[in-house]
Amino acid sequence: MLLHVVNRSPANSRVYEQALSGMGPDDVLLLIEDGVQGALPQLVRYYAEIEGRLFALREDLEARGLLGRCAESVQVVDVDGFVTLTEEAERTVSWY
Amino acid sequence: MRYAILLMGAPYSHQASHSALRFARALVARGHRLEAVFFYHDGVHNASRLAAPPQDEPHLMDAWTDLSREHEVALQVCIAAALRRGLLDEREAARHGKDGISVAAPFELTGLGQLIDLGTRCDRLVTFGP
Amino acid sequence: MHEHDEPLRDLLVILRHAPHGSSWLKEGLDAALVAAAFGQSVSLLFMGEGVMALMPGQGPGPLEQKGTAATLEMLEMYDIETLLVDAEALSALGLSADELMLDVTPVSTEAISEALSAHCLVLTF
Repeated sequence: MLLHVVNRSPANSRVYEQALSGMGPDDVLLLIEDGVQGALPQLVRYYAEIEGRLFALREDLEARGLLGRCAESVQVVDVDGFVTLTEEAERTVSWY
Repeated sequence: MRYAILLMGAPYSHQASHSALRFARALVARGHRLEAVFFYHDGVHNASRLAAPPQDEPHLMDAWTDLSREHEVALQVCIAAALRRGLLDEREAARHGKDGISVAAPFELTGLGQLIDLGTRCDRLVTFGP
Repeated sequence: MHEHDEPLRDLLVILRHAPHGSSWLKEGLDAALVAAAFGQSVSLLFMGEGVMALMPGQGPGPLEQKGTAATLEMLEMYDIETLLVDAEALSALGLSADELMLDVTPVSTEAISEALSAHCLVLTF
């Protein structure tokens, strides 16, 4: 199981497509930095194919006033949870 | 577990270095060992000892230095990327006839081989890009 | 969980940027070459704009800045022979594999995720 990290919004970058094509059926994806915009209900559709395997970083949501505005299917984790995800995954691949 | 971080974003311009530092602190707080942070691409700018951000803003170079001294984390800066971007330690400054020094300990200019070595011997390598 | 009959290869370098417009491509190739020089088994995967790295007939950039074409010609000498290219990226740019400057293996999306699992370390540039 791999962890993928995306730091750009799907609204202005297509790197999310590359991340999705790199994902295997058990892999998970964490949105950080501007990438947390992808957790908004209007944008989470870009990640529809990985529903249930999508995470967003709490601190970056908070900084942007987006905490509480995430789509329900997105799992919010803090930086400690981010570290946990990297422990559980065999390796982490960053898409920026 | 033994971790390494590859950082490729410059401080201030992008969030990468801030995210990397936050992650680094969290992983040592969880009891992991952070072997090294390898600075490549614009990440080399984190090593600049001449950075002078305002008092009320984060000082990335100081923060990396504190992390390094407190937890014995190696701060390895790709020499090729650094020289091109004006990040020179005392030795390189002398070698290139420059009258300023922009990199000092605990940051060390090293080759890309160190990155490959870290990737091989650490359990986890996490990249933060701009 | 992907089953592997073969042992994992050491390093997969994913190249996502085109030549000249930024330093990413060169910096990614440098990392790949260093790993190969250290005796590691290295594969390259060209995704997105990265496929432009393989266009034939490239020249230098402004100020005679060297491109990456010469470095790519050296890959074989460093025993980097596994060159994967995202088939969708190729067709999105209207390119076919046989036009490119090196022998490459076009791969499907599924094969891309398998490639990530088949290497101990993955670096993206």
